[in-house]
Amino acid sequence: MMSKQVLTANELLSGAVVYLGADGAWVENLQGARQFDKDDAHALEAARVAASSTGRLISLEVEDVVLEDGALVPARTRARIRAGGPTAPRFERQHLAEDEHVSI
Amino acid sequence: MYRYDEFDAAFVSERVAQFSDQVRRRISGELTEDQFRPLRLMNGLYLQLHAYMLRVAVPYGTLSSRQMRMLAHIARKYDRGYGHFTTRQNIQFNWPKLRDVPEILADLASVEMHAIQTSGNCIRNVTTDQFAGAAADEIIDPRPIAEIIRQWSSLHPEFTFLPRKFKIAITGSPNDRAAVKFHDIGLMAQTNGAGQVGWAVYVGGGLGRTPMIGKQINGFVPHEHLLAYLESILRVYNRYGRRDNKYKARIKILVHEEGLETIKAQVEEEFSHVRGGILTLPQTELDRIDAYFSPPAFIDSGVVSIDVEREKILDPAFGRFLVNNTFSHARQGYTSVTVSLKPIGGAPGDATAEQMDAVADIAERFSFDELRVSHEQNLVLPHVALSELRAVYQALAEAGLAEANAGEITDTITCPGLDFCALANARSIPIAQDISRRFADPERQREIGKLKIKISGCINACGHHHVGHIGILGVEKKGTELYQITVGGDGTEDAAVGKILGPGFVADEVPDAIERLVDAYIAQRESAEEPFIAAYRRLGDAPFKEALYGNG
Repeated sequence: MMSKQVLTANELLSGAVVYLGADGAWVENLQGARQFDKDDAHALEAARVAASSTGRLISLEVEDVVLEDGALVPARTRARIRAGGPTAPRFERQHLAEDEHVSI
Repeated sequence: MYRYDEFDAAFVSERVAQFSDQVRRRISGELTEDQFRPLRLMNGLYLQLHAYMLRVAVPYGTLSSRQMRMLAHIARKYDRGYGHFTTRQNIQFNWPKLRDVPEILADLASVEMHAIQTSGNCIRNVTTDQFAGAAADEIIDPRPIAEIIRQWSSLHPEFTFLPRKFKIAITGSPNDRAAVKFHDIGLMAQTNGAGQVGWAVYVGGGLGRTPMIGKQINGFVPHEHLLAYLESILRVYNRYGRRDNKYKARIKILVHEEGLETIKAQVEEEFSHVRGGILTLPQTELDRIDAYFSPPAFIDSGVVSIDVEREKILDPAFGRFLVNNTFSHARQGYTSVTVSLKPIGGAPGDATAEQMDAVADIAERFSFDELRVSHEQNLVLPHVALSELRAVYQALAEAGLAEANAGEITDTITCPGLDFCALANARSIPIAQDISRRFADPERQREIGKLKIKISGCINACGHHHVGHIGILGVEKKGTELYQITVGGDGTEDAAVGKILGPGFVADEVPDAIERLVDAYIAQRESAEEPFIAAYRRLGDAPFKEALYGNG
């Protein structure tokens, strides 16, 4: 299992959980997240600074993820629940409205 | 119930206007998140794991039908059709969007409600007995003094940035249903030798990572001097409370470290200066506030008792409801009804918008338009005529609200846990659901009797696990959710903090562990009349430890 990191946050207007995607857009789906190698601290920091400067992303966090059967899985239970939504009762995650999408 | 005067109304609507402008400036980028965060928190708006959460104050747990309907409206229009009633007698909405919050606050203001001081290091919403103003065992209705404390503590300029948050609970009855000894200040009504009513004051109680039972700092503070006495305590705390360490900043740590006598001397010194001054409550003002809480126009229907044994035979479900979900009322011919928000397998404390509307209708028709929220995450219809009890039960049943488990093992207190809360370490709701399903059989619940299980998903103890007869605390250990079980806690006047008896359990093992504790209790109780907590006090840890971990 290869350990990677992703950058995650909550979008300002909706509060929805989002991940920095490969093309700089913030996406709802963890599977679309840009993967940072653990030794690539500079790139991660640059992305974090860029994200902060949008003013549209709050509670920025770096999460450890592992690749299992081709899918990204967060290492922490908390991050798995953030990625999937509440488990009990089961609720759909918060979604971004059309005007709530954000890019860096 | 209390109605806003022009000062209250102006204050709340000004705040709505201020926050609307703050949200506008945040969205436009004029305010950074660091600047905005304290402003949104002052208005009850948190960021949780998946979305924002708005915590709305329900002052001392009292609601009118009109207010409950507005909560339903907010749930439906701005959220996902439900709300979550909390252990602080408040309601939380889990899915609001930032742009909608000013409108939600305006809607709340239109029914004399708000979310002010539901966060931050200030005096939070005062909590009280859910049967306040109705209970047969009440010395005094605690709601008028709770309202006076609300007015005094709202935006109190000296106490807006305390070392830490501050919670006051009040009981007007000697039988404490408000857990007053586990609050920063707990007030318990007393009568002195002259027949006057005043307050025993407890200070330094609390749960969280350092659970403490409040200590009596004064056995009798006269009613008219209570505000002056509270101000004296707050002033001493504000001056000496530890601001250097968030985890040692609550008044319980100050009282513990300095000793009760030292704190008492400081408070008495302060009190000697402020007593008899501007905070003395004039009788005219007490009478004015009391008038808002006058008893409703009770009617003698001729029905003064119900033959519960007969009803149990005719309709066992209704019989069970009578046994568990009714509470002795001060007025003959009336009762208080607990509306359980703990359906088997449900999320404790959740109510749908339809259920909120239904209970508002029932309160309007059958309970003089009054409702209460209990710290045990249930609702209460405080004044139901015995002659109408059957109709109330049927109406509740139609709304899916007639679960007759109040006080039984499936009536758990449960915090939102890691499914929602950004502070949690483990999930709470699925544990409550598993226990609820395990003990779903009414006959099994009756056999077990009164037993309070309380579940928290982290050491902050919003689920009051320390004072559960059986408490469950979720922790994270090496990436796994693990549950520590405590036994022997008690949130009443016989206050006790539960004891950890051994290592934690993974989630799947929890229902079996609880069942073993329950079986050990049933096997060793003196009779069915001896409740779990009494048996624990008589027997000590040993049989329960053996039940959990064997005797190896």
